[in-house]
Amino acid sequence: MLNYDVIVIGGGPAGLAAAISAKKQGANVLLIEREARLGGILKQCIHDGFGLLRFGEKLSGPEYAWRYVDEFHQRKIDFNVLTYVIGIEKLEHKYLIRVVNTKGVVEYTSKTIILATGCRERTSKQVFIHGTRPSGVFTAGTAQAYTNILGQLPTKKCVILGSGDIGLIMARRLTLEGAKVCGVYEAKAAPSGLTRNIMQCLNDFDIPLYLSHTVTRLYGEERLQAVEIMKVDESMVPIPGTEEIVECDSLILSVGLIPENELAESLHVRMDSKTKGPVCDDDFMTSEPGIFICGNALHVNDLVDYVSESGELAGKAAANYCYESKEFVSFKIGKDLLYFVPQQISISQVSKPATLYFRSSQVLKKAAVTIKVNGKQIFEKKYSYLKPPEMETIKLDMSQFHLVKEDTLTVEVKGEKV
Amino acid sequence: MKELVCIVCPNGCPMMIEDMGTSIKVSGNRCKRGEEFAVSEMKHPMRTICSTVKTNFPKVPVLPVRVSEEIPKDKIFDVMREINKVVVTKPISIGDVIIENVLGLNVNIIATSNILKE
Amino acid sequence: MSGKVFERKLNQKLERYFPGRVSVKVEDDCIRVSGQLDNWEDIVRACSMCVSKDKRLHVVNDIKLMGTNIPVMRIPKETSKELEGMKPDVLIIGGGISGASIARELSKWNLNILLVDKESDLAMQASGRNDGEVHPGVDLNRGSLKQHYVVRGNQIYDKICKELDVPFKRRGQYVGFKQRHLLPILAAYAWQKKHICGVTDTRIIGQKELRKREPELNDEFAFALYNSSAGCICPYGLTIAYAENAVQNGAKVSLNTAVLGMDVKDNQIVSVTTNKGILYPKLVINAAGTFAEDVAAMAKDRFYSIHPRKGTNSILDKKSAHLVKSIASIKTISRKKQHTKGGGILRTVHENLLVGPNAIETYEKENFATESKSIDEVFNKQKLTAKELSKRDIITYFTGVRAATFEEDFIIEKGRKTKNLIHCAGIQSPGLTTAPVVALDIEKMVIKELSKTELVTKNEKFNPIRKGIPVLREMSSKERTKMIQNNPDYGIIICRCEEISKGEIIDALNSPISVPTVDGIKKRVRPGMGRCQGGFCMPLVSQIISEHENISIEEVKKSSSEAYITLGETKGGAIC
Repeated sequence: MLNYDVIVIGGGPAGLAAAISAKKQGANVLLIEREARLGGILKQCIHDGFGLLRFGEKLSGPEYAWRYVDEFHQRKIDFNVLTYVIGIEKLEHKYLIRVVNTKGVVEYTSKTIILATGCRERTSKQVFIHGTRPSGVFTAGTAQAYTNILGQLPTKKCVILGSGDIGLIMARRLTLEGAKVCGVYEAKAAPSGLTRNIMQCLNDFDIPLYLSHTVTRLYGEERLQAVEIMKVDESMVPIPGTEEIVECDSLILSVGLIPENELAESLHVRMDSKTKGPVCDDDFMTSEPGIFICGNALHVNDLVDYVSESGELAGKAAANYCYESKEFVSFKIGKDLLYFVPQQISISQVSKPATLYFRSSQVLKKAAVTIKVNGKQIFEKKYSYLKPPEMETIKLDMSQFHLVKEDTLTVEVKGEKV
Repeated sequence: MKELVCIVCPNGCPMMIEDMGTSIKVSGNRCKRGEEFAVSEMKHPMRTICSTVKTNFPKVPVLPVRVSEEIPKDKIFDVMREINKVVVTKPISIGDVIIENVLGLNVNIIATSNILKE
Repeated sequence: MSGKVFERKLNQKLERYFPGRVSVKVEDDCIRVSGQLDNWEDIVRACSMCVSKDKRLHVVNDIKLMGTNIPVMRIPKETSKELEGMKPDVLIIGGGISGASIARELSKWNLNILLVDKESDLAMQASGRNDGEVHPGVDLNRGSLKQHYVVRGNQIYDKICKELDVPFKRRGQYVGFKQRHLLPILAAYAWQKKHICGVTDTRIIGQKELRKREPELNDEFAFALYNSSAGCICPYGLTIAYAENAVQNGAKVSLNTAVLGMDVKDNQIVSVTTNKGILYPKLVINAAGTFAEDVAAMAKDRFYSIHPRKGTNSILDKKSAHLVKSIASIKTISRKKQHTKGGGILRTVHENLLVGPNAIETYEKENFATESKSIDEVFNKQKLTAKELSKRDIITYFTGVRAATFEEDFIIEKGRKTKNLIHCAGIQSPGLTTAPVVALDIEKMVIKELSKTELVTKNEKFNPIRKGIPVLREMSSKERTKMIQNNPDYGIIICRCEEISKGEIIDALNSPISVPTVDGIKKRVRPGMGRCQGGFCMPLVSQIISEHENISIEEVKKSSSEAYITLGETKGGAIC
């Protein structure tokens, strides 16, 4: 049986960055990917806007992925594609990982595992759309796969539910391919996606955006023929009497991403109900020693640049990990934060800049994020605007605060509501 | 007076631009690129477009492509028409030119994936 | 009570509730109710009032529903002459659990059997839209056909599922009661069921024992009525398995085939018109579900009526399966006699929780649209069964329509006026449980009838064993590796939520009744049934179907011929 120092599960941007970073540290690395090609979801994200922070260039998804895939192959890192993890078992200071591929069921052991399993899309049933079950209902990612990988047009006239980035991107993509987008409907009072995407995907093509609206029913026995739209109140509950029928042949759903953590949960790692991902420390290690997490499986990012960064940091930490016991201080996360990662900081005397990620739960202006130890403010950063769709990141060397286990560490955000 | 959001970088600064006749006044931007974007939005808005071209490789029905530089916003659908005429018959690499100087705009259509070379 | 007296009493009742609008005539062993009413609920009430204790008399609904058009039966668009002139010995109308199980039992004989169904696959209506419970029969009254068949049906399930290679789990069923004072009543009830009705596994379980076995049920349950024989199965999986075994033994199945009319002369069905040609069967079996009455009318043998009743079920993420290990529900005794299908929480054979169903009268036989209030209603009730039940765990929901007669019992008998017809109608719960033994009885009826005019011989080559598609994820590593080494496609995982391989999908495309659509594959091997509901695998499954069937991707359908997924290629043009 082959033994490794680091096994990375997932060959998308997070996994590739993690594998490269771990290899750079001298670790013996294996990357496992369930699709036929490396690159993850980037393979179908043919639009540009990737890599502005990382490379200073506006790249398309496949081009961004190629930067990493190329380096990955140059470093001759072991990898298996069309390989699916069916189980992970905890052993003494290592893990047994069982996979299935065309060779059969194969087992490996590894000192550490990095989960880079990405996320999946929320479905129509999870937002309680009722009515019939016709064809023509797609999540945006599935519509994207048909369009950009199989070269097939999923619709000629569609309604998009959800103003998340993928929905906005698909609004533009489908318009470019000759489809009509009747409108983008968003149940919240503010759009979910990046503002620049509202501009260049909707405004550029005169596609209307309807806030505080949702789709409640589908019509059509075989193929979708129309949807029922309703206005919603502040709690996103449909308001009776506001029903409107919009004829279309497709409903494209962009109603949220859910981190994919079946493997993490099977290992009983502690989960954060706010991120829907595992609780981790500033080394991207979960509550299970030796299990690391990065990318969208940890929390849903907007920019792939941060996904790669988290992979890089997780890879470095996993490569250098030896099963020594660590002490942590957990963050008490203020309620105005949608979430904050990492949820705990390892106590270290050695200088170690931590990378912190967070989202505000509402739109704020003249905002500030403050970190306090035992009530005393140790750090503050000011922002002119904070918005839930736009994740923020801070680099902070926590070792300078000489934390001890008994300290109370809090992080809060405040500002003027808009 | 026009409101717009800058699309140059993820910051997405909300800006105001005013055509003062001889010059254009820009406010809200946090960098020079934003100011340049605002001015060009007023005068001659430019965009990048990304799409796919057909291939005759059955396992890879389409290949992703994009414009090598920004093109005028009002030429988007004309450029799309040119892109849609193409059928790739040879294995090409990232960065290879598929249409040179599309519609005389001094911009190429380039491949953005190496899938045909794998 | 003589017919005339009964008729008079019924008319008096009807006059009291619906003055001047409806009346009844008892003739020809039928209770014909006619007139006009303005809404369907009233029609159901009026007809239900006329139900007789005499098992031979059935209510026939001839009341006109004013102001509403009852939707016509949906039929496939395709027409052909594919079956034109065929002369099957037995024509089975309906490809649900009834039709499929009957076909299989009849394939034990040397007969030309043809099963037709108007849908694009088997088990598309009630048989594919129920909770899959194999009932113990503890809630049934003596004297009904349901009760006559249920215990034997339940007992034969192990044998049938072994022969047909269909997973079956006897999980046991708990009906919980909060009111301690009801214990003596339920104890008497349990005694009666066990000793008089033959439901021998019925017993009462006390609170302590219940908490040990099902720790997450409502802790206020004082006791429960328990039946160990209750089980669960995949109802469409069993339907398909039955039909495949029938086909393996010589029967024919024709999907997308709707029966449009019949020619009946001298009390015999002479011909049956379908969208694929005219057939000349010797004997016809009416297993047409909610359309059984329509088929009976075509055959000039309509002596009962169906009042459809829909129910909605929700399926929960496997993560919540720990809440209920078996099948559980809460019972509150009330004076009102309702059509309860109060529903319950059931752990399916696939290890998800299923919550439901409810029961709502409807005149729309094929309206399978779901409604949020059905889900809410069921969840509000079932939260009393398991307090931690949450709508947030729902991954999908679906609606089915039951084919109920007004007598709320099965109709399993030869045609009364038309001689070469057998009815297998009014099959609602526990129709899944009783199907294997009902099919055996119908087999006897068919052979007896056909033997009157010719010699019917046994099919010496009959093989009761049907091998299903291998489920790789349930195999040991050693077994699985061996399968993969013989066929590497078994090692390529396509549906990552349910861990289903390309090999299994191709097996489904190569199966005896192959339905090469996304839903046909989903029914047979499950891709798309997991938490992402096909988000990742649908394009991959489309591609596999396209390659296997040698059709372009835009020709791959979700289910029926009009349920296209994509519209065509995005590009095309000058060579570069």
